[in-house]
Amino acid sequence: MSYSVTFKDHIAHPRKAGELPDANATAEETNPVCGDRLRLSLSIRDGRIEAARFLAYGCPATLACGSALAEMLEGMAVEGALHLTRKEIVSAVGGLPSRKQHAAALAIETLRAAIERGKEGGQ
Amino acid sequence: MRWISAQLSAAFRVLTLVGRFSTGKARLKSVLLTPLTKAMRRVYLDHSATTPPDPRVIEAMLPYLTEKFGNASSVHLWGQEARAAVDRARRQIARLISARANEIVLTSGGTEANSLAIRGVCEAAASHGQHIITSTIEHPSVRGAIDSFEKQGWEVTRLPVYGDGIVRTEDVRAALREDTVLVSVMLANNEIGTIQPIAEIGALIRAARAADHRHLSFHSDAVQAAGRVAINVEALGVDLLSLSGHKIYAPKGAGALYVRRGVRLVPQQIGGHQERERRAGTESVANIVAFGAAAELAQKEKDARNEHTRGLRDRFESEVAARIDEITFNGNRELRLPHLSNISFRFIEGEGLLIHLDMQGVAVSTGSACSSGTLEPSPVIRALGRDEELARGAIRFSFGKDNTEEDVDYVVEALVHAVTSLRHLSPLSRQTAAVT
Repeated sequence: MSYSVTFKDHIAHPRKAGELPDANATAEETNPVCGDRLRLSLSIRDGRIEAARFLAYGCPATLACGSALAEMLEGMAVEGALHLTRKEIVSAVGGLPSRKQHAAALAIETLRAAIERGKEGGQ
Repeated sequence: MRWISAQLSAAFRVLTLVGRFSTGKARLKSVLLTPLTKAMRRVYLDHSATTPPDPRVIEAMLPYLTEKFGNASSVHLWGQEARAAVDRARRQIARLISARANEIVLTSGGTEANSLAIRGVCEAAASHGQHIITSTIEHPSVRGAIDSFEKQGWEVTRLPVYGDGIVRTEDVRAALREDTVLVSVMLANNEIGTIQPIAEIGALIRAARAADHRHLSFHSDAVQAAGRVAINVEALGVDLLSLSGHKIYAPKGAGALYVRRGVRLVPQQIGGHQERERRAGTESVANIVAFGAAAELAQKEKDARNEHTRGLRDRFESEVAARIDEITFNGNRELRLPHLSNISFRFIEGEGLLIHLDMQGVAVSTGSACSSGTLEPSPVIRALGRDEELARGAIRFSFGKDNTEEDVDYVVEALVHAVTSLRHLSPLSRQTAAVT
């Protein structure tokens, strides 16, 4: 399988890796079938995502999607983030083979879970 | 035609010369294909997947791609040349395993040899019994062929390999039944390299056959072991044994099945008289010649190659153990092929590590695959009793005769970098720290 240059760059130089000590919206979602995990921590102020960090375990597509997602999110309005699609994540990593599309789905699922939990927590 | 052959030979000699002056023949192709602007070192550590063809092997096969192009079944001079070459190669392959030349059936590769052995024997013996004994760590080509009989209603006993990746002869003895017609256990495993007690099992099968168990056959897949382990089919007591050319520095396209004289086999490819009616189809003469040449070289150079690759493998393993924590070596570390190392790296997943290493010019492999959201962890590593995380994080490093100590040192550095990077990202890792 050949991955795009953008994809490989996310693997070699992951963006926004780690966790935010002052995060107010976090989620860790697992693909129950393959076991891939994505942890997202967001710092949300006044309806805007000020900072985002990710951690990931699983196949390279999950790592790349986590990296691309965290990079996209910083500075984005929460409402806009809720409208992000799987297709946009796939595009941000330079494309994914059909058998790896589940990685983008996990990224979107984790994002929505984090925002939802942030709202529950008062953000 | 002669001119073309001469040009090809000359071109190959030049390439060979370039290869000798570079850091290793194995990297010749890489050197030629790497753009000058990207002078990244490339190290091939996937010799259990396939080996770079030996220049001496290519030189031997070239005439059969050019002026000596005859069909080995033809009666004219061209055909006689091809027939003589095939017969010579058959003798070379037979010598590698101490068999008779007329017990060698030439095939397209190891998968076809395994398929012919299992399907051929089971179809021939079906009226005497429908029970097969095999191990849980067989190559997919053996597993697939046996699974197909299970789907037809046959019974299959799959023997455990415990924590060390070794089948126990006692388990084979306990599994034998009156209706068992085939025992198929590999000589050495393709992922962890563990060497199975084939001679012990062979003696057991012989004793069972002598005690009126006449329709029982013993097959062993020796694709990974050939050229690395001394093989004597008599001493091993096997009835069928599979081989492949491209694992011993020949090009892909030729394999062989040893079939002991007297073993009944239903041909799987029919419509021609080739291979004594056991495998129809025009012989791939050039590939067979290459396989023969590679078999002869493997026999002559086995000890030197083993000493070399064992030295590199051991150097690699001691460096990795010293520099990376939370690792597990998979398989018995004494009873294994000298060129192979299989290591699980906790907290990370094999495919990510593989791609990281590939981006640094290092080729390795993993037995696990994540596809369409479904994880297929290596059945071999799972059979050792490893948890899913260790099964997912297993990587095979397989060394070759042209690798160097510099290759090992480079790979260790690349590996440390890749593991550190991936663990830094992993939510499972205790090393994870906040990054801002």
